[in-house]
Amino acid sequence: MIGTLSRTTPVIVQGITGRMGRSHAALMRAYGTNIVGGTSNRTDVPEAAGVPVFANCTEAVLATGAVASVIMAPPNETLAAVQEALSAGIKLVVTVAEGVPLHDAIRIGRAVRRAGAEWVGASTPGLAVPGECKLGFLPDVCLAPGPLAIMSKSGTLSYEVGYRLVREGLGQSLWIGVGGDPVKGLRFADLLPVFMADERTQGIVLVGEVGGAEEEECAAAYARLGCWKPLYALIAGREAKEGVSMGHAGALVHGETGTLESKTRALTKVGAQAFGSIEALIAACVRDHKPVTR
Amino acid sequence: MMLIEADGKALFAAAGIPVPDAQLVSAGSLPNLAGPGPWIVKAQVPVGGRGKAGGVVRCTSAAEVDAAVRRLLGTRLKGHQVDACLVEQVVLGEERYLSIMVDAASYGLRVIYSAQGGVEIEQSGTAQGRLCAPHASAVGEALAELIANEPEAVRVRIASIGKALAELLLQRELALAEINPLFVSPRDCVAGDAKVVVDLNAVDRQPEIASIIAARPQTYLDANRKIAEGFDYVELDPEGEIGLVTTGAGLSMMLIDELTARGAKPLNFCDIRTGQMRGSPARLVRVLEWIGSRGSLKAVLVNIFAGITDLGEFAGLLAAALEQSPSIKVPVVARLVGRGAAEAKRILGEKRPDILVTEDLEEALRRIDRIVGAAA
Repeated sequence: MIGTLSRTTPVIVQGITGRMGRSHAALMRAYGTNIVGGTSNRTDVPEAAGVPVFANCTEAVLATGAVASVIMAPPNETLAAVQEALSAGIKLVVTVAEGVPLHDAIRIGRAVRRAGAEWVGASTPGLAVPGECKLGFLPDVCLAPGPLAIMSKSGTLSYEVGYRLVREGLGQSLWIGVGGDPVKGLRFADLLPVFMADERTQGIVLVGEVGGAEEEECAAAYARLGCWKPLYALIAGREAKEGVSMGHAGALVHGETGTLESKTRALTKVGAQAFGSIEALIAACVRDHKPVTR
Repeated sequence: MMLIEADGKALFAAAGIPVPDAQLVSAGSLPNLAGPGPWIVKAQVPVGGRGKAGGVVRCTSAAEVDAAVRRLLGTRLKGHQVDACLVEQVVLGEERYLSIMVDAASYGLRVIYSAQGGVEIEQSGTAQGRLCAPHASAVGEALAELIANEPEAVRVRIASIGKALAELLLQRELALAEINPLFVSPRDCVAGDAKVVVDLNAVDRQPEIASIIAARPQTYLDANRKIAEGFDYVELDPEGEIGLVTTGAGLSMMLIDELTARGAKPLNFCDIRTGQMRGSPARLVRVLEWIGSRGSLKAVLVNIFAGITDLGEFAGLLAAALEQSPSIKVPVVARLVGRGAAEAKRILGEKRPDILVTEDLEEALRRIDRIVGAAA
């Protein structure tokens, strides 16, 4: 579903009457996202951010035909919110909460898989099809339509990369924050085939981090898919101490697993380019993709 | 977050997994040895590979134990300060390996077993794994396949330890529970070590884990800080020169990498979460206080990418926080980009004209290069 998202895709916001829900629903609408409603357990609020508020997802889906949901629930309530969305027939859930417990994330993953749905998160800033719609809170200043697909574990580092690319005149075809948690929905390797098949996408930017095996999985998928679109990788955490996580629970190095060296080796071996600084990544993207102006 | 062995073993013991007789000693408390020895002295740092790094010493006399404890306490092992040592009776038996962990890609658990445990487990190639659903019964079935070649008496004991380990992992919401070595003898099965990784996101519904962390404010400094303050601050180098006031885990990590590559020494990692400040400089004051407590500090680098946060408001808070932080006597460089950047520059220009305010990260980094170069 990620590859076919557009300004017509009907989206609801769960938790729309909260501080975050209300303001981000309004920002998403202003960007162009087709927000058709929201849910809340507050029965006294008929409308928020200019769309109707429903008591639950089933009512919202029946009334609006929504197929995607942005879940603005606290971390401990995210599992229940996803279960509610899935039982209403939602096919794409985006969970933005930071700090969803690991074992809840496992339950979310199993429920999403059973329902044949897709999950972006936990702890994602969201995703965007620039110029069409955004689900979550990717800053507008970083977004512009263009030839590069971005996938990232980190929100802020991808903002930095996206912002500097846009300043150079290079926008994005698709942008998906997969989040920095170890157990998550769509992973880098799941997104690669989407980007490869996407006609707008000419190059792929991977913003990774030490810890886990996603970058290595992505390298294997890249080789399998034929490597015919360039893949640029920036991986943070070279200076991470073993056994110490810096902010993201997933960014944890144990022994040889999850190190920057392991990830860089796996990616460069299959023809991807890995960079040690933001500046170097931007320079390579500009060199390869910036439209020639006369 | 990984627990020290002593805490992992306390969880094991409570779950019914046998552990050796042991004593935890820290500075000022000398071991009161029970039993005939030999003993093993182990540095209590939350990181794997302690044996290879010299943190595990086998001792045959009380004098040797004493010397080993004195030698290890206060040193740094793989980047972690040794505040305590565990002194144990040596256990005899064959070494096995058993672990259960969350498997992110399959939304399940991975059970790993090897009939040859010990420090070379990763290189030995003897470990076998099975993926299973996150239920104790599924772990039991997976483990039964992995231990099929063990003698029956051993099989029964390991199966029972596996069941207890699986229940512990599921009930306490652990990411990893590993026993290496697991000592197997004709008499019993004993966990020689405990590597337990807890989920900090679950502590508010895991009171037992919360109390383990709270009981060791020094050993679990970063975790206690995160729980108490609601954001991440990790001191990387007590002799660091660049204090970071930054938001976003990934961007902060990348900045640390880039600063280090340029020859600067970052003091800390920080994800201050501007969105949670709600108009108060208190959080900034806290971070500046920690940063300012280090005499090696040469500069403070503020880096905020504001997608949502209003930088005008943030600039006011930063100026107020600096005013309340007399310990910050070094140059401050503020790279502020995003919503309200121009207003932020105006506000700081009025209140703190000494601060370089820029939207360009490379310019901020070049300024840091010059400050570090000039101070050196």
